[in-house]
Amino acid sequence: MYYQLILFIALVSVGFVFGRHAEQKHFKSILQREQSYAALLTFSMRFPPPELEIRDSALVAGNVVISVDYFKRIAAGLRSFFGGRVAVYESLIERARREAILRMKEAAMAQGASMIINVKLETASISKGAEGQVGAVEVYAYGTALVTPDTPAFTEVVLNQ
Amino acid sequence: MIVSNIEIIPGRTVSKHLGMVQGNTVRAKHAGKDIMAGFKNIFGGELKSYTELLQEAREEAVARMLEQAKAIGANAVLNVRFSTSSIAAGAAELFAYGTAVILADEA
Amino acid sequence: MIYENRQVPEGINVSHEHPLKEFFALLAGLIVIIVTVVLVLAMLANYLAPLIPFSMEQKLLSQMDAKWQQEKVSGVDLQRQQYLQTLGAELASAMDMPDDIQLNIHYSKGKTVNAYATLGGNIVLYHGMLRKLPHENAVAMVLAHEIAHVKLRHPIVAAGRGITVMLALASMTGLGDNGMIAGLINQIGITSTLGFSRRQESDADADALLALQKHYGHVAGAEMLFEVLQEQATVKSPDFLNTHPGSAQRIQRIKDFSSAHPGDGKVTALPQYLRFEK
Repeated sequence: MYYQLILFIALVSVGFVFGRHAEQKHFKSILQREQSYAALLTFSMRFPPPELEIRDSALVAGNVVISVDYFKRIAAGLRSFFGGRVAVYESLIERARREAILRMKEAAMAQGASMIINVKLETASISKGAEGQVGAVEVYAYGTALVTPDTPAFTEVVLNQ
Repeated sequence: MIVSNIEIIPGRTVSKHLGMVQGNTVRAKHAGKDIMAGFKNIFGGELKSYTELLQEAREEAVARMLEQAKAIGANAVLNVRFSTSSIAAGAAELFAYGTAVILADEA
Repeated sequence: MIYENRQVPEGINVSHEHPLKEFFALLAGLIVIIVTVVLVLAMLANYLAPLIPFSMEQKLLSQMDAKWQQEKVSGVDLQRQQYLQTLGAELASAMDMPDDIQLNIHYSKGKTVNAYATLGGNIVLYHGMLRKLPHENAVAMVLAHEIAHVKLRHPIVAAGRGITVMLALASMTGLGDNGMIAGLINQIGITSTLGFSRRQESDADADALLALQKHYGHVAGAEMLFEVLQEQATVKSPDFLNTHPGSAQRIQRIKDFSSAHPGDGKVTALPQYLRFEK
């Protein structure tokens, strides 16, 4: 029991330290990439701008699976005893969603697109955190990439950054 | 702020599309509610406390989405979609997203 | 129509409270709730369990099937058991044993360095324990300690408390469907009842010392028992995680008792069949 207590404290601390470090690093990278991909526009509208001359279009998607760390799991478990906002999962899912959108954008840029429309997002839990299982969340972002005649110039701008 | 899940507001024109805005929240139900839900699972019927909880959480997700929209200077969010998923045992995520736009003044 | 993506400010979709602050607040809340529930129930059980008649305890035990009940004792082991039974009876007569309680002392060949009292006035001493005790006074300390448990109805109190707390914890862990939290709730709940167990041990120690004082006129040699236990302990964990008080503390209590009740301090030798090579 003594060892169990020590192991528990160790796992929670390791989860907290590494999980938080990974999260901060990830958010930094997300912010930086969001800025460099800012020129690629994304919308959830179903119709392309009427005046836009579209050379090509393609379905593009990005997905990411992010695991819950031990600290978050315990913290969320404690929260589920009392109810209320699960703050530790909010940042997790925010990360996952923004990462999925960024990956979708990367896919669109590979197509030479300048705009993604009709973006939709799906969230799924890979396993529901049952004992002995890995808790993880998947976010899938997909949309229609539009390639316009002036796109090459845009891709150059992005890649040169 | 106009919130709509259609893309064209009758009589108004979109002057600017500002991109996607999102709002989400993760909520857990507390243990006491589980007891009542356990009873309800025997008799069936609406889980009122869960209905309220999810609705409350959804309203928060919308509020966060609108906060984003307001922060980037939009006056309407169109084509709003909702999604709900269960992230972990006992915790549900409520998510709302749409396109922030600026509607031109009525003609 | 103009199309652009404006940059959304950070931090709208996340909460700003520091996760550790929330974590500790929730953990503290959970501990307070569980400890309160468990302590109230345990106290209730402590109060109610002794009201169960001793005959009921015996009946309850006859439905169980413990290992020592099946163990056949013969030859020199029977001699050892009879010796323990006689010593136990002598000590019991020095302890104001209630009339309805019967003692049943068993000798077990097991190698565990342990002895215990269980329901129905049954006391089991392991060979592993006996072979480490150098003189009768140390054996008497073990016996008197276990007899005190029986006299104070500790086995039924512990069983009653255990069942009540288990049920309460099971209903609490059944609520959430998070497996890890269930483990945490159980640990907190069980740890919070250990205080009762340590209290029982101290009470039994105190009663045993009084009996030894009455029987031998002094308590010298009693501390040998805890010195043996101290040697056995491989891990030194903090007191609040243990079912028994620390051996050092128990030895100190014996010393305090002994200086308050000085005697000749002469220890009685064990019969040949209970002397073992070191």
